[in-house]
Amino acid sequence: MKKRVGVFVCDCGTNIASVVDTEKVAAAARQFPGVVFATTYKYMCSDPGQELVRNAIKEQELEQVVIASCSPRMHEKTFRKAVEDGGINAYMFEMVNIREQDSWVHHDREQATQKAIALVRMAVSKVLRNQPLQVSTIPVTRKALVIGGGIAGMQAALDIAEAGHQVILVEKEASIGGKMTQLDKTFPTMDCAA
Amino acid sequence: MVAVAQHPNIEMITYAEVTQVKGYIGNFKATIKKKPKYVDWDLCTGCGTCAEKCPTKKLKDEFDLGLGLRTAIHKVYPQAVPGKFYIDAQNCTKLTSGKCGVCEKLCPAQAIRFDDKEEYQEVEVGAIVMATGYDLFKWEEAYGEYGYGKYPDVISSLHFERLVSAGGPTGGKVQRPSDGKEPKSVAFIKCVGSRDDTKGKSYCSRACCMYTAKHAYQVKDKIEDSEAYVFYMDVRTAGKNYEEFYQRSLNAGAKYIRGRVSKIYPRGERLVLKSEDTLLGRPLEVEADLVVLATAMVPSEGAGALAKAIGFSSDKDGFYQEAHPKLQPVETFAAGVYLAGCCQGPKDIPDTVAQASAAAVKICGLFSKNELATEPMVTQVDVSKCSGCGFCVPICPYNAISLEPIQERGHHGPFTRNAAQVNSSLCQGCGACLPACRTLALNLKGFTNDQLVAEVDALCL
Repeated sequence: MKKRVGVFVCDCGTNIASVVDTEKVAAAARQFPGVVFATTYKYMCSDPGQELVRNAIKEQELEQVVIASCSPRMHEKTFRKAVEDGGINAYMFEMVNIREQDSWVHHDREQATQKAIALVRMAVSKVLRNQPLQVSTIPVTRKALVIGGGIAGMQAALDIAEAGHQVILVEKEASIGGKMTQLDKTFPTMDCAA
Repeated sequence: MVAVAQHPNIEMITYAEVTQVKGYIGNFKATIKKKPKYVDWDLCTGCGTCAEKCPTKKLKDEFDLGLGLRTAIHKVYPQAVPGKFYIDAQNCTKLTSGKCGVCEKLCPAQAIRFDDKEEYQEVEVGAIVMATGYDLFKWEEAYGEYGYGKYPDVISSLHFERLVSAGGPTGGKVQRPSDGKEPKSVAFIKCVGSRDDTKGKSYCSRACCMYTAKHAYQVKDKIEDSEAYVFYMDVRTAGKNYEEFYQRSLNAGAKYIRGRVSKIYPRGERLVLKSEDTLLGRPLEVEADLVVLATAMVPSEGAGALAKAIGFSSDKDGFYQEAHPKLQPVETFAAGVYLAGCCQGPKDIPDTVAQASAAAVKICGLFSKNELATEPMVTQVDVSKCSGCGFCVPICPYNAISLEPIQERGHHGPFTRNAAQVNSSLCQGCGACLPACRTLALNLKGFTNDQLVAEVDALCL
């Protein structure tokens, strides 16, 4: 496999850029082995940001992508999709968290920038060893189990059943209804609970 | 409730518990334990002849929290769904001593089955909603200053609900549990167990401010010349029409006092509450006939064990942990398992209903697909390196690893040995198994040992 890594450093408005010198991070990344392209953008998750990634993959013939931005819990799925749309396997991508784990928790601009560079270097080193992974599929049993027959369980069971699916509702007491049936009137409308 | 019972798509299994859940999103196998009811519900018509004649009549009714009485064969409450009778085996004379059997002789449907046994049923489902609800904080074990439960006229808010309910043991007449007299002065104490790091829980139980406002209003409304005192730390009325409702309670004459009650003790027939008014900066003493404690909501008993059996986590207070506090409030870390209601955290009825519908929509979304894509970042086993030690098996929080026999060829011909096998549908790619593997036979796709070492090298070399 060719080693052609593209590095994309996100400013996240001022979330990252106010503490981390993103231009410096991109410049440093260009020197890493395997990196053929590195750039910054204000919001990498935005439509133009994703477009930038997709175009760069095509124009620079990238094989691996590293995006330094926020937590993967936030946008890993977003970027996987962008990378895939760009034409390479979604798992030939690494995300570097330079927001929650860097800019948001540090004040010293110089040191935070050095940390971002180190994190990107790690990700580049890793992405060079990534293998394309394939998603597999599993069947779905269209039947739901609801555990608890109080108001929460009853509401969920009814909604699922109304949509046309089978539901099994399990309740530990001999009657459904839960705590709600013990209540008299309920706030703020004072209507009857039972 | 009746809508649930009558819905053709809902199979209702009551007096039962889920004991085990195996499998993964789209393909769960759950074991349901049905407790013996000693009544054949296919035959029982709910006529009530059995309960009428049952000689064991003076049992404390759990539904009325001990404020009323019931028989050994009974319904949970008169409007129970399904409206069938069952026998409380611990208190039935026939089941404990072999004598009696009156219900069996009298039942016109011949539905009594004293030989009823526990039954187990296995069901296959694609998704699970956890709606295990809450219990009330056991204030009797923590609050000595309120009498550790020794004063019968110090009750919880749920007791009060039974007292004001038209279907309750007093027919909706507010009466003191001790002597049945109508209380003229009722004191309410909020945050008993909630927002109390030393004796209870650190969190706010969210519904208490509002139901206490309702209770105070009901006291003023139902009892002539009555006083309702509410001792509070803060009044939290964040909800549509909630603040207005609180004002209605104030307008009805409820007296709100900002301060904690430090002691309750009897004086004659009444109870004395020693407190302070922190707004006036003055100590205070109030005499009351009845004291109602707004106790904290805690996760229901057994909720933690169930979470463990299914394979998702609970928070520090034992409530089920949502996958993300803002963006995934009804999902758990176990794919295909969703949360509804107080099992996830204390909430009121509108929030519970909203969350339950949200969980239902998530499941409908799941069921709209013919098949599901699975995350490929899962553990793989290099069988040639696996020694079959099994250390990884108990470590996996998702029960995804098992030891399975494999056929191999040796110097003396083919033989069988055990090796780890990963169910890629169950594996969530957490990587907990990797450090347990002494032979480096396990590797997480996308996070291989080789990749991790490369990362460390990049940082350190």
